[in-house]
Amino acid sequence: MEELFHNLALGFSVAAHPTNLGLCLLGALVGTLIGVLPGIGPTATIAMLLPITFGLPPVGALIMLAGIYYGAMYGGSTTAILVNIPGEAASVVTTLDGFQMAKQGRAGAALAIAALGSFFAGCVATVVVAALGKPLTSVALQFGPAEYFSLMVLGMVFAVVLAKGSVPKAITMILVGLILSMVGTDIETGQTRMTFGIIELSDGIGFVGLAMGVFGFSEIMRNLEVAEQRELVQKKVTGLMPTRKDIRDATPAVIRGTLLGSLLGILPGGGTILSAFGSYTLEKKIAKDPSRFGKGAIEGVAGPESANNAASQTSFIPLLTLGIPPNAVMALMVGAMTIHGIVPGPQVMTKQPDLFWGLVASMWLGNLMLVIINLPLVGLWVRLLRVPYRLLFPMILVFCCIGIYTLNNTPFDVVMTGLFGLLGYWFIKHDLEPAPMLLGFVLGPLMEENLRRAMLLARGDATVFLTRPISAGLIALSAILLIVAVLPMIRGKRDEVFVE
Amino acid sequence: MTQAGETAAERPPLFGFIRNPQDFFGALALVVFSVIAYWASSDLPGMHGIQFGPGTAPRLFIGLLIFVSLGIMLHAVIVTGPKLERFAIRGPLFVTAAVFVFAATIRSLGLIPSSFLLVVVSSMATPEMRWLETIVWGAILAAFCAVLFPYALNLPMPLWPGY
Repeated sequence: MEELFHNLALGFSVAAHPTNLGLCLLGALVGTLIGVLPGIGPTATIAMLLPITFGLPPVGALIMLAGIYYGAMYGGSTTAILVNIPGEAASVVTTLDGFQMAKQGRAGAALAIAALGSFFAGCVATVVVAALGKPLTSVALQFGPAEYFSLMVLGMVFAVVLAKGSVPKAITMILVGLILSMVGTDIETGQTRMTFGIIELSDGIGFVGLAMGVFGFSEIMRNLEVAEQRELVQKKVTGLMPTRKDIRDATPAVIRGTLLGSLLGILPGGGTILSAFGSYTLEKKIAKDPSRFGKGAIEGVAGPESANNAASQTSFIPLLTLGIPPNAVMALMVGAMTIHGIVPGPQVMTKQPDLFWGLVASMWLGNLMLVIINLPLVGLWVRLLRVPYRLLFPMILVFCCIGIYTLNNTPFDVVMTGLFGLLGYWFIKHDLEPAPMLLGFVLGPLMEENLRRAMLLARGDATVFLTRPISAGLIALSAILLIVAVLPMIRGKRDEVFVE
Repeated sequence: MTQAGETAAERPPLFGFIRNPQDFFGALALVVFSVIAYWASSDLPGMHGIQFGPGTAPRLFIGLLIFVSLGIMLHAVIVTGPKLERFAIRGPLFVTAAVFVFAATIRSLGLIPSSFLLVVVSSMATPEMRWLETIVWGAILAAFCAVLFPYALNLPMPLWPGY
């Protein structure tokens, strides 16, 4: 316990350094600014803003990225409440009651409760991350290559099972990501692979371009198709302070949402989505009068908002302790860390304690910033929402293209991003989710390395993954999860066939 | 967006046997992708005894991808699912063209002209585009980027042609 406080104190001394504090504030501000643009979720926001953090020192860059993440999450909730457009899957739930509240002229109260609830959730989740960090790290340090490989398989299975679409399609996307990650020079033999003789590809496919194209550009292409209809119900947001009754109603929901979100966030896959939906269902189930939900019940905003914020924060746990990103946003964080020469995993905590604890402490600070900057700036976000899309998207494109170009000063990267944009658009049309692909792309090199090493250590015996107890347990869990996820699908579809 | 439960009569006759065109053609393209990837990795050495070669892992994952994709295609023939969605031409075409124009001109023309071109070309992606507004907006953004990137973010790059 004492060690925990000692570590947090170290963290706060890093995070509260004026530069880092400024970066955290800037990140939260820019993140909200982009996140509030309709149709741009946190993944796209982070992908587009990655280049601006590359010139910074590693600690500052990660703190800023974390700030961007929270800002983007909060921006998504703002659009959900004000214009009924969820910025990302997790804030779909917020639109249900949040937008109704806005219709009744209570947008201010909804936004304030969302911010305060998220702040409370952030405080609790920071402590959870700090407390779980150490024990999980010591477990991870005992892992060999076979265990790591199996753990990655489990992480991917979780991502597949919790993804919203079909399981086999998510598996194909992971495989596409794995295959794309192998383009370039093989680390062990130095041989170039699948580069088609293109010299620029010998360093591999650029992570930022892939993410920005598939998440950012393709989103723009899709948004252009949808006729613009943003109904801003409340032109001016007034009465930010929730009433005493609002607070009394919301508090228990916030606490329940936080607990649920902190737990579910640790799971790889759709932690934030799952926790937001879970919290809404829970609130509706235990409410005295469930019919109020969907008509502007404040618990329906408070619970899910707290839950998804708690989850978005505890989803850092698998990344920081095991080095395995549980979702697309964390995969982007891995990409950013790699670019700064940090290999995510258990060794970060012991080798770079300032980075680890600084990041943890900045999570709390980031949440505080959100409350401080967002409540007074709500008016600004509302005005931003009224900027027509025909002006917004060229602006986003310009910043993205320049950002990509400045990474290596090569136009090749820009062209690749454009191509990935088209690919992402095609994915959307075939209902193929890009998030598992990004996960596969990031985990690819690690997975191959551990697979190779495990096989070598076992003298080519592939049963090593089933004979070592921890590895066998992880594989078994993966198999059970997959079967449980696929079975009802097959049975359900079979019924459909018979009906026809 | 899903339009499950289409009746057979509404499907194009040529591919009438496919009940889920969205998945079928999606997976078909993934098979084509796999075949290309397999061909691209075919020159890489495989296993050296117990040791993985550079080609082992790619071919392993490519094989898995073909297997799962074929499964999806088979499933799409048996079980009814959504139709193919309409692909828009205008949006993707102009957005991508704008990005390529930027890539082609950033070195030769410099930051200001190329970001201006990017704004103008990409604005054509929407029918709501208005010429005057676009040109003014392009000039504003180009000027803003000329200050933001080289000076505020300290990323030096030529602003004008000729350098």
